[in-house]
Amino acid sequence: MKSSKFCISVFIFFASFTSLLACSEVPQQKPEIAQPPLPANVVNYIQKEPLKPEYPRAAAPAEIKSDSPKNETKKITKIKTPVEKKGANNTSTSNESLKATFPVYITDIDGRAIIFDSPPKRIIAFDSAAVETLFAIGEGHRIIGTHDYVSYPPDANSITKVGDAFNMDVEAVVGLNPDLVYLFYPSFKEQLENAGLKVLLISTMGDDISEMADHFRMWGHITGAVMEANNLADDFEGRILNIESTLAPYTEGPSVFQDVGGLWTPGKNTLVGNVFKLLKLQNIAHDIEGYQQISPEVIVERNPQYIISSYSDIFSDDPKYSGVVAVKNGSIYIPSADYLSISGPRFLMGVDELANFIYPGIFK
Amino acid sequence: MNLQTSFIPAYSNEITTLMTMPITPKEQKSLLPWRRIIIWIFISLVCCVLAASIGSVSIHPMETIMITLSKFPFINVDKTWEDSSYTILWEIRFPRILLALLVGASLSVAGATYQGLFRNPLADPYFIGVASGASLGATLVFLTNVPTVIGNFNVLPIAAFIGGTGAVAIAYKISSTSSNTKLATLILAGIAIGSFTTAVTSILMIRTEPDLRPLLSWIMGGFIKATWADSLFLLPYLIPSILLVCIYSRILNTIQLDEEYAESLGVNTERTKKVLIIVSTILTAAAVSFSGLIGFVGLVAPHVVRILWGGDYRSLIPTAALVGGSFLVLSDLMARTVVSPGELPVGIITALFGAPFFIFLLVKNRSKIY
Repeated sequence: MKSSKFCISVFIFFASFTSLLACSEVPQQKPEIAQPPLPANVVNYIQKEPLKPEYPRAAAPAEIKSDSPKNETKKITKIKTPVEKKGANNTSTSNESLKATFPVYITDIDGRAIIFDSPPKRIIAFDSAAVETLFAIGEGHRIIGTHDYVSYPPDANSITKVGDAFNMDVEAVVGLNPDLVYLFYPSFKEQLENAGLKVLLISTMGDDISEMADHFRMWGHITGAVMEANNLADDFEGRILNIESTLAPYTEGPSVFQDVGGLWTPGKNTLVGNVFKLLKLQNIAHDIEGYQQISPEVIVERNPQYIISSYSDIFSDDPKYSGVVAVKNGSIYIPSADYLSISGPRFLMGVDELANFIYPGIFK
Repeated sequence: MNLQTSFIPAYSNEITTLMTMPITPKEQKSLLPWRRIIIWIFISLVCCVLAASIGSVSIHPMETIMITLSKFPFINVDKTWEDSSYTILWEIRFPRILLALLVGASLSVAGATYQGLFRNPLADPYFIGVASGASLGATLVFLTNVPTVIGNFNVLPIAAFIGGTGAVAIAYKISSTSSNTKLATLILAGIAIGSFTTAVTSILMIRTEPDLRPLLSWIMGGFIKATWADSLFLLPYLIPSILLVCIYSRILNTIQLDEEYAESLGVNTERTKKVLIIVSTILTAAAVSFSGLIGFVGLVAPHVVRILWGGDYRSLIPTAALVGGSFLVLSDLMARTVVSPGELPVGIITALFGAPFFIFLLVKNRSKIY
């Protein structure tokens, strides 16, 4: 009897706590996030709010029109020859012919050559980017297994799942009898090799965006779809060049802060940090190495003109940030999907989306 | 009763001596050692001023003083500061300092209460499952599709509070019969429920989309999101709870020796246990729901006070609150300045700098007590 009374009393205490919260909590987050209209162009924007001296102004868009970079870029894309392979993790068959030639040698993370005498037919691709790439070059039918978090393209949902991203069901992998297991981290490498499987783990992607194109080409060589992979990679590199040349007339773009949750933010030497560099955005966390939590004081002081909030807008209703330019102008960007977290063919869609948000009307 | 006494470690005699060190005649006269408390209130204030004047963004001391003065009634100060300095001080630093002070005080009082009640020097505020229950609640909010805001209020602190109090309520229900509550059973039940909820949390963390940084920084604890509102919600729990524990401090002095002994002195031990467990659990759960799991403070602040000034609960409770609060204010100061412009979870700092200090105290006083 006493214990039930205790439970009731705890419940009452709790109820009073919640009711107190309910009465007095200030709403900190907006459930729906409507994108406010963007500043028409950078010039207008600068007139509205002067930049801090350490962030030089962006050049006027008028300059860009006179340069007409769009046409140039197209030319570049057409003339472009396949880029020479660089780094140890790529195909050593560096001939520029677009025909499939076997055997193919791929250098893995330990510097050993993994030899492919013929294209593997039963691939377990334990990596979202690899699955997207294989489907993009039309070789998705070779994948017989992947992990739980792979959700793109829709066809990938019907593929057998052999574990979540951090726990591989090794028995299930062996049971599927694959002729290639592609991993993106080394935990299960030895175990799989001991089971007699061919395992490919290449050295981890650095922070260089263009390395992704090399990965596409690598998959082309492995599967024999060299042409498709080359087209994909060329298109990828072309789009990067397009962005670069479109933004070439700009000296420096606006300042930006990205929150990936709990004020964690990408600093220098991160893939996202380099996307900012590509878009000439001034990352306010430029002096942070890798991913770190940033002090809210620093956000207020460095006063970003744009805030990228990965999940929801926690800034607009917070009195802390009421003086920040991005909040005043409503320049808070919430990505429509997690393109920028998977280094596959859709990565540039994330870059394009961000670019169009910040430089509206400049990219076609 | 046998089970309970056997749970006390072999060196319990020494600890019992420590906890009931002879009270000096001076202290015996008055209920509270007012001079020590006033000194500690002053030290806490100094810590707060220090924390307000240092940060990852440097603000001129004059600006700090002027902004602070402008907040006092009847003082007119001309606005000479920048807006950003005002926001940083008033909306970011001050709420953090206040929240750190309150959370430090709550955890220390809860820790001291558990240590006395369970007669166990290892007891801390998370001893019987509050922490693991609260992290399960928080994990559910972080990792599932529960909306972070329902109606007008944040779900996270509420979920953490439900989780924390719920875990202890279950443990209490398991351990209590109609006539009495076995404290040893309560500890074991709390540990079992703690392990179970931790396992569920781990499953959720492993099985869900793996961006775990926000959750991990909540689990490690911190004041990065502190607002004035947080402190205002904590106050109605903190102040009555601390007063209640203070009222019970004489009973704590007797109950920590032996339950039967306390009963023979006329103490209603069942009611005492119930009240103190409810109060400490609510103190801890409320503190944790805003700041995350900050370790070490609640365990060590009461011991520091015991080592330095003896174990009379009448003075231990208020002093431990002030010591714990000041310690956490300083820890938060370090957390936000050591890797500036980045931040560290404050839980790392409390252990990293608190543990060596505590070991120093232990070594210095080892002939005396431990």
